[in-house]
Amino acid sequence: MKKRMQAGWRIFLAQDWLAVLLAAGLLAAGLSFIYSASWRGEDTGIVGSWFSKQIWWAALGAAVALALAATDYRFWLRQSWWFYAGTLVLLALVLVAGKKVYGAYRWLVIFGIPVQPSEFAKVALVLVLARVLSSPLVRQRSFGAVLLALGLMALPFGLILEEPDLGTAMILVPTTVFMLFAAGGGLRYLFGLAVLGLGAVAAALSPLARFVLDDYQRERIATFLDPSRDPLGSGWNALQSAIAVGSGGLSGKGFLNGSQNVLGFLPRTVSPTDFIFPVIAEETGFIGASLLLLGFAALLTCYIRTAWTAKDPAGSLLATGIASLLFCHVFVNIGMTIGLLPITGLPLPLVSSGGSFMVSTLAGFGLVQSVHVRRMRREV
Amino acid sequence: MPRDRFIPEVHVWRLLLLWLAMLACFGALTYRLWNLQVAQGMEYQRRLAKQSLRSVRIPGIRGRILDRNGVRMADNRPSYCVSLYLEELRRSGNVQRTVDNVMESLYRIAEAMDRPLQMSPQDVRLHLGRRTPLPLVAWRDLDEAAVARFAERASEFPGAELTVEPVRVYPQGGSACHMLGYVGRADSASLPDAGDDGEAPEKYHYYLPEMAGKSGIEKRLDGVLRANAGGKLEIQVDVAGFKFDEVSRRAPGKGSDVVLAVDSRIQRAAEAVLEGQRGAAVVVDPRNGDVLALASAPGFDPNQFVPSVPAKVWNQLLKAEARPLYNRATGGEYAPGSTFKPVTLLAALHSGKVSADMRFTCPGYFELGSARFRCWQHWGHGSIDLQAAIRYSCNVYLFHSALECGPEAVQAMARDCGFGRKTDISLDFERPGLVPDNAWKRTARRDSWRDGDTCNLSIGQGALLVTPVQMGMYAAALANGGTLWQPRLVGRIVAAGGEAQEIAPAKASGGPSWEARHIRVVREGMRDAVNQPDGSGKRAKLPNVTVAAKTGTAEYGVKGAGRKMTWMIAFAPFEDPRYAVALLVEDGVSGGTTAAPRVKQLLAQVFAEVEGLEMPVPAPLPEIPAPVPETVPEAAPVPAEEPA
Repeated sequence: MKKRMQAGWRIFLAQDWLAVLLAAGLLAAGLSFIYSASWRGEDTGIVGSWFSKQIWWAALGAAVALALAATDYRFWLRQSWWFYAGTLVLLALVLVAGKKVYGAYRWLVIFGIPVQPSEFAKVALVLVLARVLSSPLVRQRSFGAVLLALGLMALPFGLILEEPDLGTAMILVPTTVFMLFAAGGGLRYLFGLAVLGLGAVAAALSPLARFVLDDYQRERIATFLDPSRDPLGSGWNALQSAIAVGSGGLSGKGFLNGSQNVLGFLPRTVSPTDFIFPVIAEETGFIGASLLLLGFAALLTCYIRTAWTAKDPAGSLLATGIASLLFCHVFVNIGMTIGLLPITGLPLPLVSSGGSFMVSTLAGFGLVQSVHVRRMRREV
Repeated sequence: MPRDRFIPEVHVWRLLLLWLAMLACFGALTYRLWNLQVAQGMEYQRRLAKQSLRSVRIPGIRGRILDRNGVRMADNRPSYCVSLYLEELRRSGNVQRTVDNVMESLYRIAEAMDRPLQMSPQDVRLHLGRRTPLPLVAWRDLDEAAVARFAERASEFPGAELTVEPVRVYPQGGSACHMLGYVGRADSASLPDAGDDGEAPEKYHYYLPEMAGKSGIEKRLDGVLRANAGGKLEIQVDVAGFKFDEVSRRAPGKGSDVVLAVDSRIQRAAEAVLEGQRGAAVVVDPRNGDVLALASAPGFDPNQFVPSVPAKVWNQLLKAEARPLYNRATGGEYAPGSTFKPVTLLAALHSGKVSADMRFTCPGYFELGSARFRCWQHWGHGSIDLQAAIRYSCNVYLFHSALECGPEAVQAMARDCGFGRKTDISLDFERPGLVPDNAWKRTARRDSWRDGDTCNLSIGQGALLVTPVQMGMYAAALANGGTLWQPRLVGRIVAAGGEAQEIAPAKASGGPSWEARHIRVVREGMRDAVNQPDGSGKRAKLPNVTVAAKTGTAEYGVKGAGRKMTWMIAFAPFEDPRYAVALLVEDGVSGGTTAAPRVKQLLAQVFAEVEGLEMPVPAPLPEIPAPVPETVPEAAPVPAEEPA
């Protein structure tokens, strides 16, 4: 009993406290600005349940993170095939019995709570890739390893694309590639993959793409390349988001004072979720927005440091994979709100409102902590 | 450790590279953010303002028009309106749902007030489409009972409110209507741009209904009467265009009051003597050129023009034969008849060719070649001097005088007296009249000036045309001994803050230069014309005041049709003139029978009301019979003067 207590204490002390602090800060920022995004002026106060739900989801996510950090990640790696298989079943179930929202089947309703299996599929894929790419049975440098990894990715990718949820599906690609790279994959294959990827983007814009992509997806990509071509249609969000961010100026308009969201120019259904960043950027300006970015960069650095100090390659790959997921979400989400990337429905980790994504992000955080706690003592 | 056993390892360099690549991407995001927020921040703020801020011009409070004693000629009165705030009545979804909700609200309010609806669903829909953030004024100018009924139950009607709008009102009714003019809804193109407060000029998004002067003083002094800095309201609208919040409000200014030189009592008296006639009357203060009255009959009630004139009323006014919209006092050109005679005589005296004691014999006619010009008194005036020529209005004396001094002297004197050019009274549609001369005759008639033209000119006939306001200023010059004033219609302008800007009396350029002894004779002749029992203007005689006057009767139209313009110019008191009058009645009998009693009544009222003198109760004015065509055609235009 005493030994257990001691072990628990050791685990507690060995946490990456900087990462915990950063994650907590980002969570707090997210909660504040979900509040602000729900704000409708003095008379009305806040509307909707985004804010209160977010608190519950964050609490649930924190509990999951704590549990994962306390347990050995190698246990979870060993079970990764079950997770992988489980999420594939859930993804398939979504297509059969999912809840339709805005023309897409992305949700499973479990005991009245909507759940997005695709969010958990990301973590499951990272787990299974970490396991496979660190296996002594696999020659990391070989073409076979690349094919294996791509094959493992292809299954959830295809199922998620079928929902359809292009944004989430696309995230899986760079995550897999980054993990392959970190695992020591052959550079020429990775380079070839990059060329293929660029070719795919080009193909997506060509008329042939309508066999693969839905009209709305092609429209979004085309609008990204020229936002003014449809200022009231699909270009609206991009334009209004750029106006919100740009008008924030250097120091912003102050908390609750962003008008783009209150006046409804930034559509109210997306401002607490995918477009939370424009709300933050409008109210806190360049200073606040770049501070937020700095926070994400620091958290990412913590993850990479964990990957570096991991006891074994599997733990390292796990941390790298979670870091890749975090990076891709932040880059794509912020990139789309400031006109660097096309509009894809990707949320901002730890900040955007959204239950499943919150839990899966914090689960990833817990896994990285688990790796960190059991690190090799070789810090510089 | 042998490589071929595939012992996995941590690739530190690859990790480092991955980390750096990620940081580089974040760097790109930061760079883009800097560009958007700091480098182009102002541009995006402008775009934000453009899509969510709307500026509304609130009209200023129009200044009043007062007479010289502070009597209100034009003022504003409150009009009670019921306005609906659409942002509180909006329904989500199709716009028709909002229209329905607004209409339902309107029906309930209409029922509560017991007043008919003034809005149709189309009006509501149009307002929702074009003026979404502005309140919808559903009822205007509600009476007290309706206002009380609404106020009682106001809490039952969310989003509806009682509002007040100023409405132009002319408390004197139709009095001075031509001079005051009227207002109508201003078109937004004429309204000033936003930018009064130093920002870049930009059109307002919305203009609240604003009044602009459409004629008369209201038009001429529109800029003074209308508050220069109207109010500005900035509102924030939401994505659907509804008002979200008021950002800033600059209260509208108040326009300046215009204080006229006009005395409303004299104006009313002048209008009273023209009642039922077509004509004009001008009363001028000969000491400073103040226009004390400027009347034109018939008139109209400018109140029916506010806020906009109903088409039926407008058509009636336009089509009426008597042309009530036309300001005869400044825009009417008439032959002056014998009222012009003092000009001829002064020119003759000035030339030195004729002296006051020179006598001419009037046998009742004047022969010029084969033509015979008649004097109005067929049996003639015998041998008379200049003063008597004015008293009897003898034509023959005038023919002799004019031929003595030549037409150029008469024309020059006419121009010196202000004829043939505008007086620059600050009213629209003023006409210059016409002083005919050789050059004019060559171009207009393709003929040279003849002695017959000189004869016609000498007695104010022929092509000579004058306006009543010119005659008023000329009468004032005769009264004051030779100062021709510019008509002063506006005495001062009082800004909203109370500071007054006086408008000084000004002499007209190129006034006459009369020798004192010349004008004395003419004035005495005019006095005799009224005060001697055989004078041509004896019907203008007043008991307590010495009036001096000259009558005039000018034929016009088809020769022999008997249609006459009847005139009188007068001033009083003779010793110290304070009032100069020019009065015209179209289609009267003669100056002596038609114009003189009207001048008498006008002056009697002026002295009684303004100066407090005791005056006899005026007798009813004589009826004017229809013109009788003359039977005997004459060889030349025959000026007629009244039979004794």
